[in-house]
Amino acid sequence: MYKHSLMLFLLLAVSALSAQVEKGSIHIKNGTVLTVTNGILENADVVIEDGIITRIGKNLKTPSGAKTVDATGQFVMPGIIDAHSHIALDAVNEATHPITAEVRTGDVLDPLDVGIYRALAGGVTATHAMHGSANAIGGQCETIKLRYGTFNPNDLKMEGAPRTIKFALGENPMRVHGEGGGLMSRTRMGIEHVFRRGFSEAQQYLAAQEAYNKNKASDPSAVPPMYDRRLEALGDILKGDIIIHCHSYRADEILMLMNVCKDFGIKRLVFQHVNEGFKVAPELAEFGAGASVFADWWAYKFEVYYSTAYNAAILTKNGVVTSINSDSGDYIRHLFHQAGKTQRYGKLTDNEALRLITLNPAIQLGIDDRVGSLEKGKDGDVAIFNAHPLSVYAIPQMTIVDGIVRFDIKEDGNDQRLAPDPEKVDMMMLNYDEDHRCMEGTGEALFHNH
Amino acid sequence: MMKYLFGCICSLLLLLPSGLGAQGSDEKRPPVTRTFFLNNAYVVQSPGKVIDLGSVLIRDGLIQAVGKDLKAPADAKVMKADSMYIYAGFIDGLSNLGVPKPKEDDRSNRGRGQREYNPSYERAGIQTERSVVDMLSPEDKALSEMRAIGFTAAHVVPRGGMLPGQGAVILLGGDDAGKMIVSEGSSLFAQFQGASGVYPNTDMAIMSKFRELYTQARQHKTHSESYAKNARGMSRPAQNDVLAAFGESIDGQRAIFFAVDGIKEMHRALTLSKELGFPLALAEVTMGQKAIAPLKASGASIFLTLDLPKAKAEAKKGEKEETDEEKMMLEKQRAAAQQLHEEQAAMLSKSGLAFGFSTLNAKAKDIRPNLERMIKAGLTEDQALAALTTTPAQMLGLSDIMGTVEKGKIANLVVTDQPYFAKGANIRYVFVDGMPSEYEVKKKKKKKPGDPDAKVMAAGEWNLEIDVPMEQMATPTLTITDEDGSLSGKLVSGMGTNDISNMSLEGDNLTFSYTTEGGGQTVTVSFDLTIDGDSLEGSMSAGSFGSFDVEGSREPKK
Repeated sequence: MYKHSLMLFLLLAVSALSAQVEKGSIHIKNGTVLTVTNGILENADVVIEDGIITRIGKNLKTPSGAKTVDATGQFVMPGIIDAHSHIALDAVNEATHPITAEVRTGDVLDPLDVGIYRALAGGVTATHAMHGSANAIGGQCETIKLRYGTFNPNDLKMEGAPRTIKFALGENPMRVHGEGGGLMSRTRMGIEHVFRRGFSEAQQYLAAQEAYNKNKASDPSAVPPMYDRRLEALGDILKGDIIIHCHSYRADEILMLMNVCKDFGIKRLVFQHVNEGFKVAPELAEFGAGASVFADWWAYKFEVYYSTAYNAAILTKNGVVTSINSDSGDYIRHLFHQAGKTQRYGKLTDNEALRLITLNPAIQLGIDDRVGSLEKGKDGDVAIFNAHPLSVYAIPQMTIVDGIVRFDIKEDGNDQRLAPDPEKVDMMMLNYDEDHRCMEGTGEALFHNH
Repeated sequence: MMKYLFGCICSLLLLLPSGLGAQGSDEKRPPVTRTFFLNNAYVVQSPGKVIDLGSVLIRDGLIQAVGKDLKAPADAKVMKADSMYIYAGFIDGLSNLGVPKPKEDDRSNRGRGQREYNPSYERAGIQTERSVVDMLSPEDKALSEMRAIGFTAAHVVPRGGMLPGQGAVILLGGDDAGKMIVSEGSSLFAQFQGASGVYPNTDMAIMSKFRELYTQARQHKTHSESYAKNARGMSRPAQNDVLAAFGESIDGQRAIFFAVDGIKEMHRALTLSKELGFPLALAEVTMGQKAIAPLKASGASIFLTLDLPKAKAEAKKGEKEETDEEKMMLEKQRAAAQQLHEEQAAMLSKSGLAFGFSTLNAKAKDIRPNLERMIKAGLTEDQALAALTTTPAQMLGLSDIMGTVEKGKIANLVVTDQPYFAKGANIRYVFVDGMPSEYEVKKKKKKKPGDPDAKVMAAGEWNLEIDVPMEQMATPTLTITDEDGSLSGKLVSGMGTNDISNMSLEGDNLTFSYTTEGGGQTVTVSFDLTIDGDSLEGSMSAGSFGSFDVEGSREPKK
């Protein structure tokens, strides 16, 4: 009897797991395929089977059971990836401590956020759901796929994506914890100290664990150090298991964090915003740090007065893996426009510009083996436009995630919310989320600070 | 003498809702009998299992016999139950019943000024070592409100932050907390309730803190157990009641009850249980039909909320119909969202998932209408009854002692004049632990519209019949004297005489009131009557005890 119920349990558990991520088969026919890694293929097909791209070429056969999409006259590109976003999150900042490395935005995903659908309508298939910038060491972030329609938060997670964590430099953590909280840190020096102290404590914790593991076999009275999730997470950064994504503006503090990382042997580092990145582009390239920037947005507070719309181009020309992000529920729908700006400011090629919103953010998130370009064996995440996506006339037509159509302009309803208020009719457009959420949860959200 | 009589009236009024307790004075006396006999009723022993014209014998708090052709023992009080319906008392899967809200403290100021980076367990809302039994108040009004709609037992939990403490199963009756408790420490209660201004503030931190506490508790348990075996040479484990309280859950013996606000929190609780392996119970569940597979896989006990989104009021006559297309579309979406809540129970039943109900966020007065809405959305009456009785009993590990009308179970019963879920059904008795509360049916009488121009005569002697469950007060005599248009009078009942000075007659509408004191409380008894010739009708209200119908006729002049 017990065995039976166990079997039943396992069966149910397995079906629950397999039900988690829905995958589909699609044959996209006769489009202009922008592969990003393999040039442009005219009048070409892309075949996705069970969520994976299996073939790209001309006049391909439709696999049985696959949906067909006629892309004649249309442009087929890899799904856009936003390396800095706060959509689909129920909480952004755990602003109660300068180090909250143990918390994870993956625990507070919001599959019912209509922002997911809006992003799909801009050709986006994956986002980096980031913790905010209130703390010097914020929470761990989650790389999600925009599987609109699910009610299960776990379905959004891009299974197998590397762990990432949010760090923050400068005014935000100084203000929240220094001026606002009366504690650490009031200055940029203090922020550096938070990093160094945190990592040093993590080193001690790891050493104590190692000592215990060494002794436990021979010494039955050995007691392990008390489990501490914060130090576990910092320890995982030291071990190279977590990629740091750091909110940053000024060149001096960007250099500072690279020095801290060098001192602690940390290699996986991406700077976010990084508005003065162009000043230290060679240093970033030498370190191997990525840069995820706005196309042309700055001067929204003092520490970010010095910037340029050429930032992405300068970084790119210096060999820094660069992406353009939205950090916004609004800009996320226009990332292809944002990428196009680098052609006006910096004369990037079409492919260089497209890389800023596809393969490069994928590299920064450690998922470039899965997404970011149209290649055999990669995930079936595709955006289809009616014109070249870098054209100002381009309108997204269809967005596909894992071979499932999640957005189709022909099926676009007036109200795509999954969970409207059951008690009152609300005029949904009034809730339009164009506010930036970097500082949400800190009591400063009204001030639009980044 | 008069004063004593006033006292009598008052204390009887105070006793109205519970009916048959002590009699006549403040002094507490043991009940005359603890044996009750309910005869000739439809006994719904469990969902779908009915005895027509059956009887139930209750003795000393337990059901002693159930069946046909039982005879009332000599010492039994026979309760009129002809063609009534007898059900097992309902069980509430999770609530704060009997747990008064703590007084406002300085919480409002928290989160300002200097930050607190290492809050104490208490400040962080982590109080697993507390038990709800230390917080119970038998006087909590919510207990009698829930009893009046048929609930006789509840799994109650403390109020607080993310881990407010341990729950207990209590009976919704009895006047000392000790006697109310059925089982103590039956659960650990958890919720996604952040600490204000300190860690853990958001759900992210609650998730992390929960994992950390649970893992530390495991570690602490292992350490303490090895230390107990062989202390020599081992560092001593610190005493930590907060961590120790997880022990039974780590052993798989005690469920952790999560009250969840919405489907996302439910998934968070499922995630924690899956990762850490503790037995899980989910309360206040909504939209469960969108998570059937994960719910089944979790093996969690499920309690659906009896709170539903407010139903939209029917459009009033003469109201303009909406013609704006966008608004109509949005209204359609809203209605669909409401439907999602109403049909949850039916959909879960269809999928084969067992569930009870919880009332943490439900108001007593909404519960019967909400059950009606769920039934309208496809839940069968038997399924609803199972969710109120047998399933929660089983999920709370109480099937041996409650959940059905069977010999040997605690005498928790609901007696109604029509099937419980029928429209207009009235609850007549609720037995908790073998002691009845009696409820009178409020006859709804249409009060004739008062006519301010009518000419009626109020003076005279009136024989009243008041629909009040106290013999002494049921048939008083009202004498009214008219001295040049100034009315006064007296009301003589089995409880004494009350003089009335403030009578007023406007048209045919006679109103008056008097106050009476006793039991430490002032009760205003007021009458609102309409005179029609030699008869009158209307109502008497006695403060918070309710309102009762009054009829009367004038004694013919001798």
